[in-house]
Amino acid sequence: MVAGLRAPCPVLKRRQSSVIPACSGTEIMQDRRDTGKMKTTVMGSYPKIPAGPGPSVRSAIQRFEKGLLTPSQLFETYSQVIDRVLELANDTQLDRTTDGQIRWYDLFDPIVRDLDNVHSAGLIRLFDNNFYVRHPVITGRLQYQGGTLAAWCREAVSRSQVPIKVALPGLFTFLDLQEDTSYGDTDALIADLIDVMRLTVRHLVGTGVVEVQWDEPSLVRSSSWSRTQVRQAYEALIDPDLEIEQSIALYWGESSPWLDTLSQLPFSRISCDAVSDPHVLDVLATDKLDIAVGLGVIDARNVRMETPEHLARLLQPILRRQGHERTWIHPSCGLEFLPPDRAEQKVRLLRDTKFLINA
Amino acid sequence: MAKHLLTTSVGSFPKPNKLLTARTQFRRGQISAEQLRESEEDATRQVINLQEALNLDIFVHGEMERGDMVAYFAEHWQGFSESLPVRSYGNRYYKKPIVENVVSLGDSVGLTVVSWEKASRLTSHPVKGMLTGPYTICDWSFNAYYPDRRSLVMDLAQLVHEEAVALEKAGAKYIQIDEPAISTRPDELDLAIEAMAIVTQGLQAKTISHICYGDFETILPGLYDLPVDQLDLEAANQHFALLDLLARYPWPKSKELALGVVDVHSHRIESVDEVKAGIRRALEIIPLDQLLIDPDCGLKTRTWDEAEQKLRVMMTAVEEIRDEDGLQ
Repeated sequence: MVAGLRAPCPVLKRRQSSVIPACSGTEIMQDRRDTGKMKTTVMGSYPKIPAGPGPSVRSAIQRFEKGLLTPSQLFETYSQVIDRVLELANDTQLDRTTDGQIRWYDLFDPIVRDLDNVHSAGLIRLFDNNFYVRHPVITGRLQYQGGTLAAWCREAVSRSQVPIKVALPGLFTFLDLQEDTSYGDTDALIADLIDVMRLTVRHLVGTGVVEVQWDEPSLVRSSSWSRTQVRQAYEALIDPDLEIEQSIALYWGESSPWLDTLSQLPFSRISCDAVSDPHVLDVLATDKLDIAVGLGVIDARNVRMETPEHLARLLQPILRRQGHERTWIHPSCGLEFLPPDRAEQKVRLLRDTKFLINA
Repeated sequence: MAKHLLTTSVGSFPKPNKLLTARTQFRRGQISAEQLRESEEDATRQVINLQEALNLDIFVHGEMERGDMVAYFAEHWQGFSESLPVRSYGNRYYKKPIVENVVSLGDSVGLTVVSWEKASRLTSHPVKGMLTGPYTICDWSFNAYYPDRRSLVMDLAQLVHEEAVALEKAGAKYIQIDEPAISTRPDELDLAIEAMAIVTQGLQAKTISHICYGDFETILPGLYDLPVDQLDLEAANQHFALLDLLARYPWPKSKELALGVVDVHSHRIESVDEVKAGIRRALEIIPLDQLLIDPDCGLKTRTWDEAEQKLRVMMTAVEEIRDEDGLQ
């Protein structure tokens, strides 16, 4: 785990004086489905197994390990499962989707694959979930090699009729969950992390991905990072000249205290988990943000089904304050915490709710 | 003179291939429940024999009859239904229970007693009675019925208590109530402690709670108030960093620590020296007569060979320290 910044790192110093107008880079992007109405998206992961018959990553891996599938057959199964995720996104008329992170072992997987001197080590619990990730261990100075994430993104874009975004671990979530055996100097680590993440985003330009979503559950679960640290780090990370949107997603904690700080950064959208933090609905019904708002109003960690009518009632005050065109709705987090049948139902609920509201 | 650095295991053992086949055949209706039970008993005998061969002190029965530590109880108790599988890591999935009604034991009073009795008959060593704690059952289920988590945890605490009482009546001297979820929400630690007080109320058996994969920093020293006689904590997974944390707070005189010294989620077999180094570090902060040694967690995710090798390394490390320090 890391301590706080002791002094601004060189990259932060360079970026501190920059004046970056909100959304200046993202305005370039035109959403293919921009209707001026409330929009829908998902957050990241999706179950790798089917609700019924159909290709399953789980059984394919089991068969592969028993020598019953070839590497090509396993690869093809992943592709088939990605197709299923993307078909659902299209069927439910999502405005933006991920590929379900089907090839990903966990949130850190493609980042770790694309960096030198980082490897995946022992399992750690992912915050308050009965879900475990391999924590990244840093063994030397971070070097970006690239390749994996861009390839996976190209595959998703080529197979999808819905614009593709990719959700990556945010700077502070990465910092909180990594194990540093090399730097020993938090400032130096942050500076290099920002640099390699900038390279990561830069290499996604041209893949067809329209948005990078930085997942920052850490920010809303611990207060060890100051507003200044977060502001400086993301100002340094986001290159407004890149033709790719960058958003931030806060989930599994109280996002309301961060809205003021984050809405002044060049993100295209702030996504909040209104299930963990219902208070954020009150805040957003009162305070108008300068950037788009994503609301996780569908509980992605409980099988209980919400209704479109209930969600519409919940959303009306926010829609009035923020405007339909600047409001997105989505599940509270990735959908892999649900069994596949409920995950699908919750995606379909997004469609029904959007239709009800936009009608 | 009492034996020092008692050794034990946390709970589950890998299911032998023969049992895995039997479970598949049973699901397909190809064998009877009785035939499945026979396979489970064969596997339990294997688990007991291994512990005998390695000379562990306090045994577990290996949980051959259980698929998952929460789902097993939900499958037998009332008020739960079963979801489709949900991934927990890698290619591991479990059928996460859904609480759809008031929870109760139904006709499954003493659910865990039979397997404990069968295992106990196979050895002269004490065998731990194995339960999952109310907080973890709640946390690892979808609550689609109770208005809040507290009311569900409290109802579950009563059920787990009745199960613990049944184990004690059957003769169990050690009852382990696993609460791996306890560190996930520090603001609910008091709730977990209150529930555990219900579970362990009036028990004469030694009570143990195994906790793993948590952010212990957020729940110490409050965790010391958990009303059990022994805390069983993982340490090897994080290179014994837990010990630095424990060193900040005086270890309570009323509690034992069972320390996890081999990582159960790694294929790598630890060296005897690194395990000994971890135990030696622990002995700097935990009194000798309060320290027990075991793996980080249940061994079910390892192959049988890996589980055996990890336990063998653990036992060698303990025996060498006993020899070096003139301990019994």
